[in-house]
Amino acid sequence: MKLRGIFRFEIAYQLRRPWPWFSVAVLAVFAFGVTRVGLVPVTLSQDFILNSPFIVTTVSVLGCQVWLLVAPAIAGEAAARDVHTGMYPLTCTSPVGKAEYLGGRFLAAFVLNALILLGVQAGSLLAVYAPGVNPEIIGPFRPVAYLAAYGLVALPNALIATTVQFGAALRTGRPMASYVGSFGLFFLSYPVTLFLYASRMARPQIALLSDPIGVFAIMNEMMSNWTMVEKNVRTFTLEGPMLWNRLLWIGISLATLGFLYARFRFAHRTANDLPGRLLRRFSGAAPDDTAVRAPAAVSVPHAPRSFGFATNLRQMLAIARSSFRMVAKSPAGLFLLAVFPTLLVLVMTIELQQWGVPLLPRTVELITRHLTAPITDPLNYWVMVPLLIIYLVGELVWRERDARLGENVDAMPVPEWVLLLGKYLGLGFVLAAAMATLTAAGMLTQALRGYHDFEIARYLQLLFGFQLPEYLLFAMLAFAIQVVVNHRYLGQLVALIAYLLVVLSGLLGIHHHLLVYAASPAWSFTEMRGFGGSVGPWLWFKLYWAAWALLLAVAARLLWMRGRESGFGTRLRIARLRLDRSTAGIAAATAALVLALGGFVFYNTNVLNEYVTDDELVRRRAEYERRYGKYEGIPQPQRTATNLHVEIHPDRGAATIRGSYRLVNRSDVPIDSVHLEPAFYVETRVTFDRPARRVAADDELGHHIYALDEPLRPGDSLTLGFDVRFEPRGFRNSGLRSNGAGQAILQNGTYLTGSALPVIGYQPMRELWSAEDRRRHGLPRQVTLPPPGDIDPNVAAGAPATFEAVIGTDAGQVAVAPGELRRAWSEGGRRYFHYASDVPIGGMPVFFSADYAVHRERWKGVDVQVFVHPGHGKHLERLLRGVRASLEYYSAQFGPYPYPFLQVVEQPGNFFGMGVDGSGVITGGEGFFLLDPEGDGFDAIFEVVGHEMGHQWWGTQLKPAFAEGGGVISEGLAWYSAMQLVKNTKDREALRRFMRFMREPNPWPPMRTGLPLLRAMDPWASYRKGPYAMHALSEYVGEARVNGALRTLVEKKESSLATTIDLYRELQAVTPDSLRPLLHDLFEVNTFWTFDTKKATAARTGAGTWRVTLEVEARKVVADSAGKETEVPMNEWVEIGIFAAAGPGEILGRPLYVRKHRIRSGRQTITVTLPHRPARGGIDPYNLLDWEEGDNIEPIEVEGSG
Amino acid sequence: MRPAAPGGARPAALELNIRGVSKGYPNGVQALKDVTLTIPAGMYGLLGPNGAGKSTLMRILATLQEADKGTVRLGDIDVLNRKDEVRKTLGYLPQEFGVYPRVSAEEMLDHFALLKGIGERRARREVVEALLRQVNLWDVRRQKLGGYSGGMRQRFGVAVALLGDPKLVIVDEPTAGLDPAERVRFLNLLSELGENSVVLLSTHIVQDVSELCTRMAIIDRGEILLEAEPLGAIEEVRGRIWRSVIEKSALAELEREHAVISTRLLAGRTVVHVYGDAAPGPGFEPAEPDLEDVYFSTMAGHVGRRRGQPEPVVAV
Repeated sequence: MKLRGIFRFEIAYQLRRPWPWFSVAVLAVFAFGVTRVGLVPVTLSQDFILNSPFIVTTVSVLGCQVWLLVAPAIAGEAAARDVHTGMYPLTCTSPVGKAEYLGGRFLAAFVLNALILLGVQAGSLLAVYAPGVNPEIIGPFRPVAYLAAYGLVALPNALIATTVQFGAALRTGRPMASYVGSFGLFFLSYPVTLFLYASRMARPQIALLSDPIGVFAIMNEMMSNWTMVEKNVRTFTLEGPMLWNRLLWIGISLATLGFLYARFRFAHRTANDLPGRLLRRFSGAAPDDTAVRAPAAVSVPHAPRSFGFATNLRQMLAIARSSFRMVAKSPAGLFLLAVFPTLLVLVMTIELQQWGVPLLPRTVELITRHLTAPITDPLNYWVMVPLLIIYLVGELVWRERDARLGENVDAMPVPEWVLLLGKYLGLGFVLAAAMATLTAAGMLTQALRGYHDFEIARYLQLLFGFQLPEYLLFAMLAFAIQVVVNHRYLGQLVALIAYLLVVLSGLLGIHHHLLVYAASPAWSFTEMRGFGGSVGPWLWFKLYWAAWALLLAVAARLLWMRGRESGFGTRLRIARLRLDRSTAGIAAATAALVLALGGFVFYNTNVLNEYVTDDELVRRRAEYERRYGKYEGIPQPQRTATNLHVEIHPDRGAATIRGSYRLVNRSDVPIDSVHLEPAFYVETRVTFDRPARRVAADDELGHHIYALDEPLRPGDSLTLGFDVRFEPRGFRNSGLRSNGAGQAILQNGTYLTGSALPVIGYQPMRELWSAEDRRRHGLPRQVTLPPPGDIDPNVAAGAPATFEAVIGTDAGQVAVAPGELRRAWSEGGRRYFHYASDVPIGGMPVFFSADYAVHRERWKGVDVQVFVHPGHGKHLERLLRGVRASLEYYSAQFGPYPYPFLQVVEQPGNFFGMGVDGSGVITGGEGFFLLDPEGDGFDAIFEVVGHEMGHQWWGTQLKPAFAEGGGVISEGLAWYSAMQLVKNTKDREALRRFMRFMREPNPWPPMRTGLPLLRAMDPWASYRKGPYAMHALSEYVGEARVNGALRTLVEKKESSLATTIDLYRELQAVTPDSLRPLLHDLFEVNTFWTFDTKKATAARTGAGTWRVTLEVEARKVVADSAGKETEVPMNEWVEIGIFAAAGPGEILGRPLYVRKHRIRSGRQTITVTLPHRPARGGIDPYNLLDWEEGDNIEPIEVEGSG
Repeated sequence: MRPAAPGGARPAALELNIRGVSKGYPNGVQALKDVTLTIPAGMYGLLGPNGAGKSTLMRILATLQEADKGTVRLGDIDVLNRKDEVRKTLGYLPQEFGVYPRVSAEEMLDHFALLKGIGERRARREVVEALLRQVNLWDVRRQKLGGYSGGMRQRFGVAVALLGDPKLVIVDEPTAGLDPAERVRFLNLLSELGENSVVLLSTHIVQDVSELCTRMAIIDRGEILLEAEPLGAIEEVRGRIWRSVIEKSALAELEREHAVISTRLLAGRTVVHVYGDAAPGPGFEPAEPDLEDVYFSTMAGHVGRRRGQPEPVVAV
């Protein structure tokens, strides 16, 4: 049979070529590496089993991604080799049917790809069973895990992607077009799906459908919806959205195959692509030639020629222009210069919102968040640009040879450097044009949003000054590789591998930017901070790499391929001929530059500053625990008062803190030694107010021990004085601002945390928590978090202390420290502020210094201070509304606000949300102030402030123990408070809008299978289910009772840590017996209710009233942590609600009837008679028990009336 | 080395001296074996069958390949080591070349002119115009090269090769694949060249040489078999070429008995040329020799360096 013959020939042909073998090897190595060392373990926060179905599946998914990039050549070859090599006239005229030809070729490609993908499974098996793995993390061998991953992930992907690659190559007649198809799939699968998913343009289930290879869909499904237990044991199967996704795409690929088959012709191929058609249109028919005749005697004028530098420059520019034109007109150029920016405009318009609130399209925000990405650390779709560079460099270097013009050009009197730099410059023009289109895209987005403060200079500065050089550096590497390798696809592959090495260098344990091509600490820019000192380190590293790029350019010039001699030995010989004096001089000078710049950088990163690798940090933490862990929990004096004098010098980036702690022995035994841990990266000197000797000083691990000559008796106190200095010296490998508090002192926008201050006692928080790290360093396995019942209910909370600080800064700035502002004055050209809190406060103190606009008001004796960047004043109104309403309502409900001050500070830096930095201090990142303060709709600023204010009770006053369910105490109650605040200060309609925002799957998709609330660990339970349950309880039991229980809890646990058990006890105390089962369902087990209003009708009665009949269905299930759901019978009170027609802007109209009915499992009918005409009605209208918004409420059909 | 050409009244006519050039490929093929040629200014034909090593030699002269051994000098220039100097005075038309399909002839030629060192825009424009007129492409200069026929492309290639008054013009198998009319036009064009330059034309078509070249060499399997002037070479074999028309079936026997140098079909019968100092016998008549007879005699080992080691017959 011919089909079999074609199939076998194709398989045999391709197997003789290196590409399939190479692909298998790449995939196997990738899977091995990813499983063994890399990505997967770190994606899991806790313990994992190396061969769990989750990891096997994840590796398969990631492997498919790599395969997409490596293997398109297989399908491309099979589809288009005949046309590409010019063999097709022979093939076309042979007596082979279309079906046999296409079928054989396609099947061969598919089978080859399926075989290649086996490399992933081989690699992941090898990673588990090859020596060198800790046997503890190997679970039982589950063949079905590998079969499922291969059969359900890899095989369908092989079919889908092979179809697309095959189709692209077949239609264009170019094997490499298959790469374009592959990239398309990749683009659709990750960035596009992500946007659809995150942007809420489509429902999540619909969005997931758009992912053709399941990268996002599968990963998202498993990552976020599976519990830890499930991740280790659950077998991957196709269900729900994933099943539909696979079916849809398999269907699409089959349809595509049908289409390809139908459109395929064995015929002479004319240039039938779009450019070809255009070409014919614009150039008319093929030119007519003139008749045979002797050439006219024309004398060619003698033209002056020159071969000097000026001519060379002119030639270089001509080549650059010609290269630019070629790229700009090619599909890849079109993509980079037109499609990509257009997509970005789309992306930006979608993404310029947070929590349903539009964001202000400020220029800096657009550029830093959307229009730039460091090449060494590209976020999602930005990987496109380096990939395109790799591709385009191949096209440019091979341009003449592709056009079979290579020999003509090579014989021209043009130096190699002109050819090389001309092409490089051409690509540079393309990249510069890309920067220009990105600028246009940014400004277009702004204009579309009605924002006109374009700041063109900022665009030019950041895109051309910072982004473009990164691409140019990388382009030179790609050129050098392409020249040296002298095989286009191999060269592109080597460049791709080089790029992956650059990107993944961190995973490979290479962290120093001197060792990773084009790497540097990132620059940053924010409105408050400007560059914040990030330019210097960035620039020095980039200069160093620019010198390397120059050296690469010299190498590429010497090895530039000219003529036919491709043997490497011959090329080296030719290179020696080319190495004339000037070239050698340039090379030597460049090498000297590399050494000088590298030396300077090294001096800064490793001599002026200590260079500590991540591994070393991990080792030190392990060592810390081993050596000092024995001091955990020993009696130590507790801080009761902090007194500081802080001097900030923004222009020098320096700070000094002089201060003292009042330390009291609260234990029952005398304390003879004080364990003191000074902060890292600062200079700390301490003094005691009594004789004390330093008996141990471990600066590397940061633990000092002072023996007191006279032990501190119980109840006695001492004063510890300290002097902390920070002065920056040079820069670090990580730039200026990390590792250590002192680094954060900037010209404008200093954010200095109390971590610069010494602390007392062994700090368990510094221990290693990752199970893998602990294993590697021989530390005993640690229970992740104890169940709440295991916590000693009397463990004292980290005691709050009174606080007083004088903080000084430059004359132009405002300095902030916790406390009420007692005094502000100027002295010696500097400004000083005196903050104090006589009420003990907890948390770590934070200090700010910036050119702030200050708002100050009083609320019942509380000093309310708001510090924002000038120009962010419009946010004040909503912000303060939230603050005032929270103070009012929470004080009334949960107990008085205890602190004499409340500060809301804009925190410099790109942080988006809001947070609580200790008692009375709320910070909002600069990003938070992008929220449009003027829009209507969901009032995110108010709600988020309400949540953070809630933390002033939950988390700050009531401190959760470090145990399971801790998140429910702090986050759960804080969101519950915000819900109550919205319901009571606004209305139920606002609460409904708020709950709709809470229901968004981003950032926390619902997780039905976690632990019950009392032991909840996952964020959805803490941030969402907790507040829902509390809300339901407040509606069933009564708001006053529930809030009263919380108030009691705060009072009872004033000086000890709280667990969910404590919370539960108080809730039980206020819950009547009839509702105890509900309380149990909400907290002790994982219960989910589902309600559905099937039919809602109304009829007018004789008495002029309306009789409403609702047909409702109810279901209740209990899920265990392995994901198993058990239906349980239901018989409980559920609200039935009927509403009048909704007014404008409302979701539901005025409630006509809301009352609880006894509801059983299954379908039932409820009849209610009302005096008014109803519009909508249903079961559980306020989503007290059924937390998914959906079919609870339906429009009511009115019978027998018009 | 040969002394410089005598005379000296005219500017020293350029000469290309190839001495002992050898070239082997990694797969073991010895493409050139100790090739030594002296090529004076004017049109020089390098004749040989496919795979004889013509293109290798041409590419070595065009700076695109390295020789394993030997020296090449163009006037004072050491061709093998001073490639950049050679390129300044070189015009090269490769055996096979393509174009950028979406660029017009004028634009492309202008680009090449710049690469050839004609930096000044106006001078470039004049040169481009003159060359396009000379190769008869002026009327179609605005059209995209992608739409050109094979002959037009070849003429465009000549225009490229002629840019910048080259002193050494290398034209590698230019007529292969041209239709008869195009070929005539092309040879007419070539004949315009090479008054003062060295023009080296390689071909496997004997007529190309006989119509154009004043000197020629025959090369086979890397060796120069004959170096001569075409007319002189023809005279050399005059009276030694005999012709007979026979039935095809008689060919085998004839080949056993006589030194058949070529056979060719004519109206169903076979025309045989035989090399011999005397008439081979009945049925043979003396043939008016042409360059083709020289070529086949040389290939067959009756003439030139292979004499004495006759080769099997070549059928055309």
